[in-house]
Amino acid sequence: MPRTLNRILIYTALIVWTIIALFPIFWTFSTTFKVAKDVQLGHIIPWVDFKPAWLGLRAIGLSPDTIFTESTPRTEFIKRFWNSIQASIGASILALILGSAAAYGLSRFQYKWKIWKNRDISFFFLSQLILPPVVLAMPFLVLYKELALLDSMIGLILIYTLSVLPIVIWIMKDQFDTIPQELEQAALVDGCSIWGAFFRIILPIAMPGMVAAFILSVILCWNEYFFAALLTSSYAKTLPVMVASQTGSQGISWWSMAALSSAAILPLIIIGIFLERYIVKGLTTGSVK
Amino acid sequence: MASVEIIDVRKSYGDQEVIHGVSIPISNGEFVALVGPSGCGKSTLLRMIAGLEDITAGNIRIGDKVVNALPPKDRDIAMVFQNYALYPHKTVAENMGFALKLRKTPKAEIEGRVKKAAEILDLVPYLNRYPRQLSGGQRQRVAMGRAIVRAPQVFLFDEPLSNLDAKLRVQMRAEIKELHQRLKTTTVYVTHDQVEAMTMADRIVVLHDGIVEQMGSPLDLYDRPANLFVAGFIGSPAMNMFKGTIRATGAPHFETADGTRLPLAAVPPGLDGRAAVYGIRPEHLSLGGELKAQVTVIEPTGAETQVIARLAGEKIIGVFRERVSVKPGEMIAMSPDLKLVHLFDAKTGLRLG
Repeated sequence: MPRTLNRILIYTALIVWTIIALFPIFWTFSTTFKVAKDVQLGHIIPWVDFKPAWLGLRAIGLSPDTIFTESTPRTEFIKRFWNSIQASIGASILALILGSAAAYGLSRFQYKWKIWKNRDISFFFLSQLILPPVVLAMPFLVLYKELALLDSMIGLILIYTLSVLPIVIWIMKDQFDTIPQELEQAALVDGCSIWGAFFRIILPIAMPGMVAAFILSVILCWNEYFFAALLTSSYAKTLPVMVASQTGSQGISWWSMAALSSAAILPLIIIGIFLERYIVKGLTTGSVK
Repeated sequence: MASVEIIDVRKSYGDQEVIHGVSIPISNGEFVALVGPSGCGKSTLLRMIAGLEDITAGNIRIGDKVVNALPPKDRDIAMVFQNYALYPHKTVAENMGFALKLRKTPKAEIEGRVKKAAEILDLVPYLNRYPRQLSGGQRQRVAMGRAIVRAPQVFLFDEPLSNLDAKLRVQMRAEIKELHQRLKTTTVYVTHDQVEAMTMADRIVVLHDGIVEQMGSPLDLYDRPANLFVAGFIGSPAMNMFKGTIRATGAPHFETADGTRLPLAAVPPGLDGRAAVYGIRPEHLSLGGELKAQVTVIEPTGAETQVIARLAGEKIIGVFRERVSVKPGEMIAMSPDLKLVHLFDAKTGLRLG
């Protein structure tokens, strides 16, 4: 009997937590189909509390009656969506290349710069996460203005690379640390150069970690709002910035904001469902031998 | 195949020197074991031969070439690591053929050589498996297979058996020795296990704190250890040792601090009254005789009986072929084989006579 009770308690807790976790997503999706009155009255259940309308999707040109016609909002939306893809994938690839190289170095070679050694360098990288991004707003604005990087895709990719680099280095260093050094040494004896050993032996083994680091940084960049809002305006603006700017003359257009948010969440949900096991595998290698 | 020559090699980390000028000549086809306690520098020395560790001073020659500055890949050596270091993402066949593939050997030849090595090592059924699907002993064989397919100048083994269980270790020991007799490749084998070194090597180099204590054939080291360290290190159980003084007055004998008399065949000239250490191996004691020791533990193994007792305030171990019926606490009489008593200088630890 206590076992059954145990199970009931566990499942109740899990169900409650699932609802808590999924409710915001449901709220966003359902708001897409609400008119202003439904939003303000806090109607929740479609077809019971409110009658779904195409308002939100029409606002970005994706409702059945607008999808085959010319639509400025849709063009705008696709442009922002594409910008987000470019910025997050571009930055993640760059961060992965730089971060893996840095992590490999920190994991395998001993560095010394004045009183700084490997541990201090690792901590320096990680410490970049301690600083709130707001502190960097002014300096970056000035710097980007001087370098003519404002409102450019390259500028956005660079700052995103910088912001995810600490996490990539941390994950990859952990990954490389779990690979025994004898593997490279065996490769060296077998006839590889140092780079050969890295590319032929170490990289393939570190692949799960690289996939995890890549997915994680894509997610972080995809959701980034602060620097995108600060450093871009018309050309390089990303989806989160567009979501936030859905304010019309009659206040906030909740439905179109919800429609854009849904579109922004969707790729992440897909990543979450299909690639979750790679993330877990990558982040837990080495913990179980 | 090639000879290997280690000439006055030193290794320092920062200003701390860990290997203090070691010279070891290894001739073509020889099986040399580097043995010593952990931290004696044996692995470092091996890794210097492999090129995985820089040489601070001195020279290492493989064949007629000084290899100090050569990267590992150009030294034509193969190494077997303690943890096997198999590439986890490659199959057994790919692991074994990797070195050949890097040398751009034709595919058919790689397959042939891998197959031949697999036959020697009983690995044919496992060629398409991944290392994680193999047992410890099989992984060990793959690691050896990876070394032998290359037909290198020199095999380097870094404690290859220490991750195996006792039974498998004995079996692999014989296999490695057999392999060496078959291939006749110059081999340098590092181990901390003196039994492994004794049973496998043509010649043993005993290292301690970064210097060579003694070099010689296994039986040389056993019969005539050059100093106290080698005497204590080679042989299992270890040699019994007693501190005291050599006396030539009356019957030649050795007197310990508490006055116990240990018999000697003769006193070498000029050693009367010398402070020394008296050594006798457990297997060179026989039952009955003038030494009376109090038994503390009896360990019968069937084939022989090991008796641990106390004599002159020291532990003494005897190994006898006979069954022993005494109980702990009782006295046992034993006597050393006088021809096999070792004497060492108490100060320098060097062999006397």
